[in-house]
Amino acid sequence: MPVRPLNVGVIVKLEPDFSEGNVSYNPDGTLNRAETKNILGPHSAAATLAAFYCKVKYDAKVAIGTMGPPIANQALRQAQLISNADELHLYSDRIFAGADTLATAEVLRLGVSRMNKGLGADIVISGHRASDGETGQTGPQTAWKLSYPFIGNVIDFHIDQEGRSIYAKRFISLYGFYDVIEEIQAPLPVFISADPSYKPSFNTISERLSVARNLNEARNKADNFEKYLQVYNSEGLGADPRYVGLPGSPTIVYKVEKIPKAKAKRRVEFVDGNDTVQLDMVAKKLLQLMTEAPIK
Amino acid sequence: MERYDVAIVGGGTSGLTALRQLANLGKQAVLLEAGNTAGTKNISGGILYSKKPKNGRVYNIEDVFGREFIDDAPYERPITRYILHATSKDKLYSIDLTPVHEYQINYAYSVLLSKLIPWLAKEASDMSEKMGGGIISGVHMRSVRWEQGSSDIVIDTDELEPFRVKAVIAADGVNSELAEVTKARNKFSSEQLYQGVKVVIKLPETILEERFNVTSEEGAAHLFAGDVTMNHIGGGFLYTNRDTISLGAVYHMDSLMDNPVEPSRLMDTLIRNKLVAEFVKDRVPAKKSSQALISKDEEIRQHFMAVKLLKTWNNLRSEYYSRDGIKRLIESGKYGTKDEIGSRIAFLENELVEKYNYEFGDNYVELEYSTKLIPDGKRCRMKAPYYKNILFVGDAAGRGVFVGPRIEGLNVGIDDAVRAANAVARSLDRNNFDEQYLGNFYTKSVEESPYTRDMKEIDKDYLKIFLDCSKNIPKDIVGSRYGMIFKLMSSGTLRGIAVGFANMLGFDRLLPLVESVDTYVNVPVELADRLGKTIDSNYVPSTPSLQERIAKLDYNDDTFPHIQVTKPRSEFMQKMVSLCPTRCYSCENGDVILQHEGCIECGTCAYETLWRHPRGTKGVSYKYG
Ligand SMILES: Cc1cc2nc3c(=O)[nH]c(=O)nc-3n(C[C@H](O)[C@H](O)[C@H](O)COP(=O)(O)OP(=O)(O)OC[C@H]3O[C@@H](n4cnc5c(N)ncnc54)[C@H](O)[C@@H]3O)c2cc1C
Ligand code: SF4
Repeated sequence: MPVRPLNVGVIVKLEPDFSEGNVSYNPDGTLNRAETKNILGPHSAAATLAAFYCKVKYDAKVAIGTMGPPIANQALRQAQLISNADELHLYSDRIFAGADTLATAEVLRLGVSRMNKGLGADIVISGHRASDGETGQTGPQTAWKLSYPFIGNVIDFHIDQEGRSIYAKRFISLYGFYDVIEEIQAPLPVFISADPSYKPSFNTISERLSVARNLNEARNKADNFEKYLQVYNSEGLGADPRYVGLPGSPTIVYKVEKIPKAKAKRRVEFVDGNDTVQLDMVAKKLLQLMTEAPIK
Repeated sequence: MERYDVAIVGGGTSGLTALRQLANLGKQAVLLEAGNTAGTKNISGGILYSKKPKNGRVYNIEDVFGREFIDDAPYERPITRYILHATSKDKLYSIDLTPVHEYQINYAYSVLLSKLIPWLAKEASDMSEKMGGGIISGVHMRSVRWEQGSSDIVIDTDELEPFRVKAVIAADGVNSELAEVTKARNKFSSEQLYQGVKVVIKLPETILEERFNVTSEEGAAHLFAGDVTMNHIGGGFLYTNRDTISLGAVYHMDSLMDNPVEPSRLMDTLIRNKLVAEFVKDRVPAKKSSQALISKDEEIRQHFMAVKLLKTWNNLRSEYYSRDGIKRLIESGKYGTKDEIGSRIAFLENELVEKYNYEFGDNYVELEYSTKLIPDGKRCRMKAPYYKNILFVGDAAGRGVFVGPRIEGLNVGIDDAVRAANAVARSLDRNNFDEQYLGNFYTKSVEESPYTRDMKEIDKDYLKIFLDCSKNIPKDIVGSRYGMIFKLMSSGTLRGIAVGFANMLGFDRLLPLVESVDTYVNVPVELADRLGKTIDSNYVPSTPSLQERIAKLDYNDDTFPHIQVTKPRSEFMQKMVSLCPTRCYSCENGDVILQHEGCIECGTCAYETLWRHPRGTKGVSYKYG
């Protein structure tokens, strides 16, 4: 009996591009999203790579969804370039505005059920968290709403399609103590979040060939990504207005503070690279620092 | 273990041609390339010839890649003029060898491999994918083995699980590891090799065209013999690309071993030749040393501002002097007329001079420094280029033609690759990979190639054209010995007899006589001294230091050294201290030690070391090639 094809759903988030240094704030200290350059966040990119892994390894169908304003298109295109996704979903409606993680999870739950021609997803993958909303709750909450088991910080996984289960390794850092790698088996459907360090590895010729083929396809698809884009509003998703947007958000934001730029503790000293006496001093200093450094 | 029909090791011009030809024949093949992407490890001079020999046929690149090669491939310029210069200090005697260059060719294009190879790779892999094959880059073949009772070859790599194939095409270049692990041939010795050194120099398109007196559809090649090689057997070349120049030289390794000079210094000598200097000269900004006392903060601020201005100046100027650049700038709406762009450039220059203490003057802009060995097919071609069911092609088989100043390695490798692919396809059809059926068939095919003839004997028609080009040289000028040969050769019948006799002697005995310091250095120097005209120029290029040259290269350092020194005290290794192009070797207490991080994988030290390429994606990546 042929195994049924694997359906993968990825939820990603458009994020301000902090790396560019062109983050802009409103006068009240909140992020000015309209003026800040947006990209597919690094955490979302890791999730997208995990989907690419499924594509290469299991010839999976991949759908990528995001909730956000229409400019989120670009992040979806970027995600398609990475993963060769077959469907791109944008969940966009004015009434979604002001959503906290729980209300977002509601939209995403509905979105997932629309993915892959309405078949949903055997695995839903999210990033570990987003760079601009440090809570890391959206993933687990969406999993909870979908009633899928949740596995966080996944660094490696494989799927037993016939046995319909996932074998995953997750990375747990017990800060200051030691790191643990936990191996977990769970039934499908499942929700996983990719650890930021997640990097798929492809070790056989056939996988490498498939990587090349998929990336090629992805480039062609992304060139006219609108063809793969499906935009859903609240009605299209069949959302209950009580559970989305502001009304669906129990979180109360008390105050947002602009993080003041800390004064650097480092001091810069200029040294003339041609002056042997000065260089000697640098060497001595390095040696001293190295001998004093605690070995962790 | 996964199975494929064919594996090709090496994604240079030879390997890619083999892949495409197999795909053309409907065969599945996977190509392994160690570089991060195909085209990052390959160096050439390089003129790519398409040829039409009078006897027999060769396979040219367009026979495999189709008409698209001529229409779409990113080659640089058709080379339409070919001039040899005999040099002695600031004197120069020039001979127009265009007829020699045009002998038996369809065309000759200058190419930069880092641009050309990605195009070939895309074309080859698109086609190969349809057959279930393709290119896998970033993978380094480590070894091959045969399992008992099977002719299948198991390939081990540093990156992937082993896999199994029915035949292998070895296109892994002059320092072939497949040749090394199978012992299919000996390592090439210094007598069989040339060291090729090259720099790519920037020169805006229309300035280049004016200077070399060529149109946009033409290009020039200038060859140099005489004192430019610092008394070594070899010669210099300068080929015009679209908006760069490939300047380089090849030196017989024996001659370098006798008289070791650092490649970077050899290159400096070539660049400082008056004519070369005039050819590469451009308007270049330089920072004046400043006495002004300013704070470090201010200095850094000024530096960043200046860098920004320089970048804009540079881009704008490249556009200004390029064929389509002005059109592009005007269409973008940023500028109205050509003059406007010109005055903007002048304004930027002025800013740099007035505010940031820069000055503009004559110099040249070096983009990339590279070195690689070249096998001299006359001396080292594999007579039976196979081992079991592995076929060797191109540089890996030691097959390259040096005829006069002309280097033909690219086209020879392409011809080999087609022959190897055809032989393998035939074996696949019959499922017969015996030496008799595969190896011998391929050997026979290669032996029939006119290129092999060029590696075996002197072509008297070619010689005649050569002599016709040099007929203005007074016979007595080149010393009595050469004068006599000239006289002998100028008569049709006597030439025929002489060449026949020479071919009977064979290259083995002939070459040491012909390829001598006399031929390559003394005669040209005498020619230039006595007949040459003086080049009137007082521009002396300031060449970058080796450190600066290395700093421009891209490396992905491998923590494991890919080369092991086994004879730290040998005479050969002592010479590597000078001959390694990036000074990876040094001598401590009489022992030669290696620091592999700067290695550009040229292969010069391979003869007496345990030599491997770095693991996949590691090592140097060239941007021009
Ligand atoms: C300075 C100079 C000037 C030249 N001028 C000319 C000229 O004007 N005209 C001309 O026709 N020829 C010229 N040649 C010669 C010509 O460049 C070569 O003959 C040609 O590039 C050889 O091509 P190839 O595909 O056989 O080998 P290469 O281009 O050397 O390709 C070998 C490939 O194999 C890969 N590889 C090696 N080992 C492994 C491994 N173990 N696993 C995976 N991959 C591996 C390498 O990364 C590389 O990409 C010149 C050469 C030099 C150096
Ligand atoms: S160490 Fe590397 S760069 Fe130096 S001679 Fe050897 S191969 Fe060439």
